[in-house]
Amino acid sequence: MPEVNTDKIFAAFLLRLEEVALIEDFDDIEKEFLGKNSLLSEERKSLSSLNEVSRKKYGKLLQDLSNNITYKLDEEKTKFKSKFFIQRELNDNNDISIDWYKNLGNKNHVLTNVMNEVVDIFAAIGYTVSTGPEAETSWHNFDALNTPDWHPARYESDTLYLDNKLEKLLRTQTSTVQVRHMQNNEPPVYIVAPGRVYRSDQLDATHSPIFHQIEGLAVDENLTFSDLKGTLEYFVKEFFGKDLKTKFIPHFFPFTEPSAEVLVSWKDGEWLEILGCGMVDPNVFKHVGYDTDSQGFAFGVGVERLAMIRYGIDHIKNFYENDLRFLRQF
Amino acid sequence: MKILKSWLNDWLDIENISNSEISEALESLGFEIENKKELNPNYENIVVGKVLEVYEHPNADKVRITKTDVGNNIYEIVCGAWNFDVGAVVPVALPNSKIKDNFKIDKRDIRGIQSNGMICSAAELDLWDDHDGILLLDDKLLPGTDFSTIYSSNDFIWEVGVTPNRGDCMSYLGIARELSKYFNKKLKHKKSNLKPTIANILNAGSGKIKECNSYGSVEIENFNVTNSSFEMRYRLTQVGTRIINNVVDITNYILYDIGQPLHAFDRDKLFGKISVRKAKNNEQITTLDSQVRKLDSNDLVITDDDKPIALAGVMGGLETEVSETTTNLLIESAYFDKVSIMKTSRKLNLISDASIRFERGIDYKIQRYGLERFLMELKDNQAINYSEINVDDKGNLKNKKVILEYSEIKKLLGIDLKESFIKKVLKFLMIESEVNKESVKFTPPSWRYDLDRPVDLIEELAKHYGFNNFESTLPQGVHKNNKGSYWDLKSYLSSVLTSNNFQEVQTLSFVNKDKNFLFNPEKKYVQVFNAIDQSSRFMRSNLMSSLIDVYKLNYEQNNLSNSYFEINTIFDTSKNKIYEDVPNQNIVLGFLTSSTLSNTDTRLNDQELDLYYVKNILTQLLSSYDLEPITKPGFHQNYSFAILKSGQIIGHFGQLATETQMTLEFNNEIYLGEIYINKLNLNNLKEINYVPLSQYPFVKFDLSFSVPIDLSANLLVDEINDLLKDNENSIEIFDDFQQENSRNLGIRIITRSYDKTYDDNETREILMNISQSLESKFNIKLNSSKND
Repeated sequence: MPEVNTDKIFAAFLLRLEEVALIEDFDDIEKEFLGKNSLLSEERKSLSSLNEVSRKKYGKLLQDLSNNITYKLDEEKTKFKSKFFIQRELNDNNDISIDWYKNLGNKNHVLTNVMNEVVDIFAAIGYTVSTGPEAETSWHNFDALNTPDWHPARYESDTLYLDNKLEKLLRTQTSTVQVRHMQNNEPPVYIVAPGRVYRSDQLDATHSPIFHQIEGLAVDENLTFSDLKGTLEYFVKEFFGKDLKTKFIPHFFPFTEPSAEVLVSWKDGEWLEILGCGMVDPNVFKHVGYDTDSQGFAFGVGVERLAMIRYGIDHIKNFYENDLRFLRQF
Repeated sequence: MKILKSWLNDWLDIENISNSEISEALESLGFEIENKKELNPNYENIVVGKVLEVYEHPNADKVRITKTDVGNNIYEIVCGAWNFDVGAVVPVALPNSKIKDNFKIDKRDIRGIQSNGMICSAAELDLWDDHDGILLLDDKLLPGTDFSTIYSSNDFIWEVGVTPNRGDCMSYLGIARELSKYFNKKLKHKKSNLKPTIANILNAGSGKIKECNSYGSVEIENFNVTNSSFEMRYRLTQVGTRIINNVVDITNYILYDIGQPLHAFDRDKLFGKISVRKAKNNEQITTLDSQVRKLDSNDLVITDDDKPIALAGVMGGLETEVSETTTNLLIESAYFDKVSIMKTSRKLNLISDASIRFERGIDYKIQRYGLERFLMELKDNQAINYSEINVDDKGNLKNKKVILEYSEIKKLLGIDLKESFIKKVLKFLMIESEVNKESVKFTPPSWRYDLDRPVDLIEELAKHYGFNNFESTLPQGVHKNNKGSYWDLKSYLSSVLTSNNFQEVQTLSFVNKDKNFLFNPEKKYVQVFNAIDQSSRFMRSNLMSSLIDVYKLNYEQNNLSNSYFEINTIFDTSKNKIYEDVPNQNIVLGFLTSSTLSNTDTRLNDQELDLYYVKNILTQLLSSYDLEPITKPGFHQNYSFAILKSGQIIGHFGQLATETQMTLEFNNEIYLGEIYINKLNLNNLKEINYVPLSQYPFVKFDLSFSVPIDLSANLLVDEINDLLKDNENSIEIFDDFQQENSRNLGIRIITRSYDKTYDDNETREILMNISQSLESKFNIKLNSSKND
């Protein structure tokens, strides 16, 4: 009958388990207790020499030992593994509060963002972007837009000219695109024209020799002053938010009549002017070769102004200095 | 234009209308409110006093002691001013009172004498700048009268913008006229009852030129030049005009009140006939501000027999100025041509209250009334004699009749206006009209130059109807969410670049010559004729110089980034192919990146960027393109390339010339270029060519060739692609090793057949085929091959 004490073997196995330091140790233990040359295997070989009863009984005893060892080994191995990974991860101690990947400049310029937004708002109601040259003729910038010869805007103190005859200039308003577009396209017209304009001003906190405007023009059958009003109220609500109030006050522009300025109620109840607009003056239609019976409206909005109002930007200079400290913020 | 409520009330009964209601009215009529404020000086314990005695201070030379009747008391008050004597009526700040800046006045010992308050100057009461001493009040005021009751001390002032088409609103009369319809109130016109007592000595006329339509004048004798009335000084101060003397103050007052500029001459300094003519070239006049003005034949001058006596409509002459000793006056009230006054005023950079009004156009029938008003302001307190008012009017100005069809109103405004409303507006605006069933025939009044077309009257009606009373409707174009190819292209390029850590910038278009010359010595630059800054008078011919500036700025600021782009216009003087008659100008995408980030203290610094990085950006932008070496000023001689798409040059890029890099003191290499937006088509950039995926295993070769230094590796890649054109391929250069004159190129080929698994023989055949073809075609040698 049994020559080995299975309890002793198991106790020896448990002792070995306690010595485990590396995951490979489990393989050694397995080999030692369950392998070909293990005591257990040796005993199993001797089973055949026993009678049936003893063989069954002893065989079961050995099988139980084998099962117990296998089970315990697996259990310990799993435990060891999970402990090992836990320990390994515990050693990963990087400080996440550091921003190793720096905030690089990777944005559109804030003026581009504002222009995109305005274009999107108008594209949603059927307006397409139109463009024109920045170096323009005086005719497109002034005459075609019904600006009289003597108008102060034409003075060299206000407008930058490209020749001494004052026939070519840097456009002072994106309204020039209206003229070019109508010269080349028949109604209906629904366009917005974002772009650069130029004035004779030194760059400082509130002035810039270059700034951006978005001109809008709609010419279609039966467009009225109410349509102009509705269109700009829609724009203000889309751009600034639904709660903002708008009001229209009469104004004067040579190329529109009636002309108006749109004001919005800002925080602290202050009313801020944000754009100029009006019904296209019949003289403009005449100059571009449209039927003088045509009807439509035009508006112009300052991009820098929109950005300054929305974000509380204090210096117009910031837009053109291109310091990343500024550009990154938008 | 500043509007004082008490003054406006002279014309329109608005005293009881709230300030906010008036603000709203002004705004809805198109007067933008630039500023508004309540005037409330908070006078306490300041009363009218009458000086009864004046005597020396025993211990001080510079002050005197007065006994002053302040109503219920007679106080001893010490005073340092000397411009008054016994009998003077003066403002007294009693003990426990406050004057300007909340300065507290109390009983005070002045060198042993107790002074019971202070006798005040106009400045001390915050009225106007007056350095002549004590403010002398009207003799008729009773001692003890509360000072705040003697003028409209509780007042309100608006500063409003008047649009350039509305010169007629540059006066209280004009503003009141506009408001009269809004408040449904009639204007209060001042009536005169003048009795001339002397004959004219001088003969004054409007001359022969059309630029002076009318010239009115009146002569006044026995005039005493002194202070103007308290009220007038108060009002003029509030509207921002300097107080001078009663003559000048009244002319200014009338100018603000009715919009007619007046000028006063010392009549004793004039000789012969007063007339208007154009100046002679190089003629000179010294104006009131003591400046010698050199004139030419575009300027108008007023002359007597001897000399020019005033620069018409702009400023009077110094020689004939009214002084303290003047006793006889000639007052001028004229109409001068808008454009002529504007030109002179701008040319001499001399802008006066008068010139501003003339250049916008004054009422061409108000010259006589201007002079009447001057005389009316004098009638109470002057023992003067005056002549008939003489107005020489050529009668050239006449507003024409206009017909407005009612249907046009509806068409433009979208609403029907009632006939009664139209009639009422016309009446209040004093527009002569004949209202018919379907139209109205109207004649604009002599002060309105902005009503010569039907649409002008429609605007007027809309304004009085109230812009904010219109319905709002939203018309829409047919093609929604169609921004057009330019905008879509620009947005696409921006999005590719920003997602690759490129920052968009917006730089000014003006540069100095060097910045154009660096990259475009061959071009002729567009110049600004009247540049703001002479050194930056050139329009830029490239965006690269601007980008270098931005890079430099941020590099020096230690701002961490090294990639920038800008989409803007560049200019030169060559022929413009799109727009006739303007200089050539193209919208360009400029980009710049440097080999490392600006800072040196982070892990990101390991990332070294190079030409190949930029090439990859180009691939993302353009999907496919070819490069051809070109020589470009400002660029590295070997690293400068034209970018071609479908055989057309669409841009260029390369490395900044090393010499320029050194000059700019950059430690990093700079890669930069430009893409011509108008040469791109967004559809081509986003073109997709789907390659089906093979279902068979790949074979992979790594080939190493010994090649010449100047061989373009992509030629080999193209050739291999061609040889394996029936397969699905991935062919890449994985190594390019150069040493002295030898060069080894490693090419990795992964290829899959669409219809079978290659066996060993076939694999070997492919390898043989490729290596032999390349060796013979490019005269190169296969060093080794590896096949897994």
